[in-house]
Amino acid sequence: MSQQRAGESWDVLARAAAHAREARDESTSLRELLWVEVGGEPYALPIERVREIVRMCPLTRVPRAPALVLGVISLRGEIVQVLDLRRALGAAAPPPTRRSRIVVLHSEAGEIAGWLVDAVSQVLRVPEAELLPPLGDAGELVTAICVRDERFVSLLEPDRMQSLVAA
Amino acid sequence: MAGKSRKSVRDKAQHEFVSEAEELLERMRHDLSTLAEAHAAGRGAPPATVNQLFRSAHTLKGSAGMFGYSQLAELAHHLEDVLDRLRMGRTTLDRTGIALLDESVSLAAVALEKLGGAEADESLSEAIAVLVGRIASFGEHAPPPLEAPLVAPLLPEGLLRALTEYEESRLRHSIARGSALHVIEVELDLAAFEEGLGDLTRAINEVGELISTLPSPGSGSDSHIRFLLLAATELGAAELAVRLELDAAAVRSAHTPAAAAGAESEGGSAAPREPVGGEADATSLRSLSGTVRVDIKKLDELMNRVSELAHERAALRALVVRLAADPSTARVGLELDKIQRGLERRVQALQADVLEVRMVPLRQVFDKLTRVVRRLKLDLGKDVRLELRGAETEIDKLIVEQLVDPLMHLVRNAFDHAIESAEERNRAGKRPEGLILVEATQRGHNVALEVRDDGRGIDAGAVRARAVEKGLIAADTSLTKKEALELLFLPGFSTRHEVSETSGRGVGLDVVRANVAALGGLVALESTPGEGTLVSLTLPITLAIIQALLVGVADEHFAIPLGGVRETLVVSPSDVQRSAGREILNLRGEALPILRLSEEFGLGATPRDQKQYAVVLGMGDAHIALLVDRLEGQQDAVIKPVLGPLRTLRGVAGATELGAQQAVLVLDVSALIEDGGRRREARA
Repeated sequence: MSQQRAGESWDVLARAAAHAREARDESTSLRELLWVEVGGEPYALPIERVREIVRMCPLTRVPRAPALVLGVISLRGEIVQVLDLRRALGAAAPPPTRRSRIVVLHSEAGEIAGWLVDAVSQVLRVPEAELLPPLGDAGELVTAICVRDERFVSLLEPDRMQSLVAA
Repeated sequence: MAGKSRKSVRDKAQHEFVSEAEELLERMRHDLSTLAEAHAAGRGAPPATVNQLFRSAHTLKGSAGMFGYSQLAELAHHLEDVLDRLRMGRTTLDRTGIALLDESVSLAAVALEKLGGAEADESLSEAIAVLVGRIASFGEHAPPPLEAPLVAPLLPEGLLRALTEYEESRLRHSIARGSALHVIEVELDLAAFEEGLGDLTRAINEVGELISTLPSPGSGSDSHIRFLLLAATELGAAELAVRLELDAAAVRSAHTPAAAAGAESEGGSAAPREPVGGEADATSLRSLSGTVRVDIKKLDELMNRVSELAHERAALRALVVRLAADPSTARVGLELDKIQRGLERRVQALQADVLEVRMVPLRQVFDKLTRVVRRLKLDLGKDVRLELRGAETEIDKLIVEQLVDPLMHLVRNAFDHAIESAEERNRAGKRPEGLILVEATQRGHNVALEVRDDGRGIDAGAVRARAVEKGLIAADTSLTKKEALELLFLPGFSTRHEVSETSGRGVGLDVVRANVAALGGLVALESTPGEGTLVSLTLPITLAIIQALLVGVADEHFAIPLGGVRETLVVSPSDVQRSAGREILNLRGEALPILRLSEEFGLGATPRDQKQYAVVLGMGDAHIALLVDRLEGQQDAVIKPVLGPLRTLRGVAGATELGAQQAVLVLDVSALIEDGGRRREARA
């Protein structure tokens, strides 16, 4: 790369960077969401709350626990409760399949819990502006919806999910 | 250190501070030598190291300030300040700067050593003042930070936008420094992407700096997730791919330095100075205290490793048995058996050592009790002697911390409410001086703690009347004396409507019981009116690792801490008797309430005509017989908390892992015993 060309590209890029920064200032901040499937419907979880995603594994049942609690698993030495997101969302809860996953979320306070979903598909980046208020009957777990691939994706709030059981 | 007996508390706190500060200074020294090495090799200061230095200085400032060591705090404050400027790229570091920081750390070590001394050290104050002046002016002549335009020639669209301000500033600095930029694209298994990312991060930081990690859409498969990593390094793309063990195509060059990087400026032309005080170096070589502070979590991890080792050991033993059974391999089997036994002994010794590290004598708690009683004596003017026995009894550090409150509560209760006034004691023919005796003894896997007083005692009849008055029991309820005293543990119960001349505080025995139960312990109370009261606590020695009895019920498995198991026996249906609608087991003439685990946990009733096993659970004097379907052996188990939103699992103390990543719930013996007993009350 010659000195001159390098100089030119620096200018171009400096402008691009300045533009990018401006664009960011116009509150087009992006939300990163994990797209999961529950009962055939798409849902999204804030990626910053996803600690890890694990394949289905044998669960140890917990006696006298609410039906929402499927059991506990050992996660590299930590014992973590696993809850049924399908049941929490009022969806059918058939036996897990090969695509089933346990999404381990942590709450604002850092408390963790595993949630069984039917499948995990991808990470979405959604501009804040595209998140719309939820419909009235969507239930309090859903804090926003957005449209992706001509489908409505409901954004779930992990803290509220966890308080379902704690309550 | 002087005045040990009188100021032992202060001394202890100071001791802790000194050992913490020593560690901080040691780490700073280490980080500074890393900086010096980097500088000597012509590399820039590693940002992670600068950041760590900043944090160390910050911590030192905080704790020195808290203990009122103002000189040390001031020195640390100025260090923190200059390190912050360095960290944010507002100043650069040259050889003089490194020497100055080094000097400051050495002087801090000298100041630390002199903390114990009584007289103020004027020459030290002077040295600190001079150094603080130099630190304050440090960086004033440094060149202004390079405001290089932010370039990212081939960065994928959107990547730039997604960077945080800090990442952007790191990117800017990397370019100014003349590093090459690479975008690394990887697809990681969803199930294990954390580990994959961790490995990549470490590998990249070895050869440069990882600036940002961004999850990226469009993975080809369901089970994978794609990430873009932005790395600054001096390596070329191909070379980096090799170092990271990735395909060459996974690493794309985003920016190559346009010209040879402008060499790190050697700002500040002052000649390096002689370090102040040669004695500082001597200080650094010897430690002021021979202790190491360890986070108890680290010990938990260590304990985990040891228990994993125990799992491997079990697998090895199974192999030995198989080899020995086959005549053609019996000789190898025998040799292996010998080795296996040696290994077993050492693993057990290791486990005992790790456990021992967690153990602390109860003296810590007892010291607090002494202080409380001394203060109460002054406040209330009562003549009470506190006698402590068994202060050397050791118990898990975590349990000790949780024990302070319940014990204080019990001692305060005894002082406030149980011990009578001097006149009253006189009338009753007692010695004028009241006595509170706290005694600890180890009993197998448990520690028994007794709080005894020679006060007025508790009248079971009055307790019963009070419970009726409060509507807690029906007026015609018949209770034994023991059952009546149990009422004291009901939430909100207080018998002192006639006594409390000192304070309106509730007795709060329910809180004591809850605290102790959380530790897997039991509380019992006995009292003789006119003679005194005895509250006994039974606690496990440790929560970290237990010997567990594995039992099976229906399709489930549970672990029971062996410390709570008195014995196990086979029970045939004819051994079970019924008394007033309740099942009891006749154990050598003693009637034990029966608790069927399958029914208790709703696991489907075991046919009554089937042979079962009784696990006799006992803590203190309370016993019950827990019926299970199978006994499945004995094993060391590390008890772990069950993480998740469901907070209360009555009867479950935690969980443990039994090889093969299988979680098994650990039963809470004290809760089960209470449940067994409560059954009876409800029916009475």
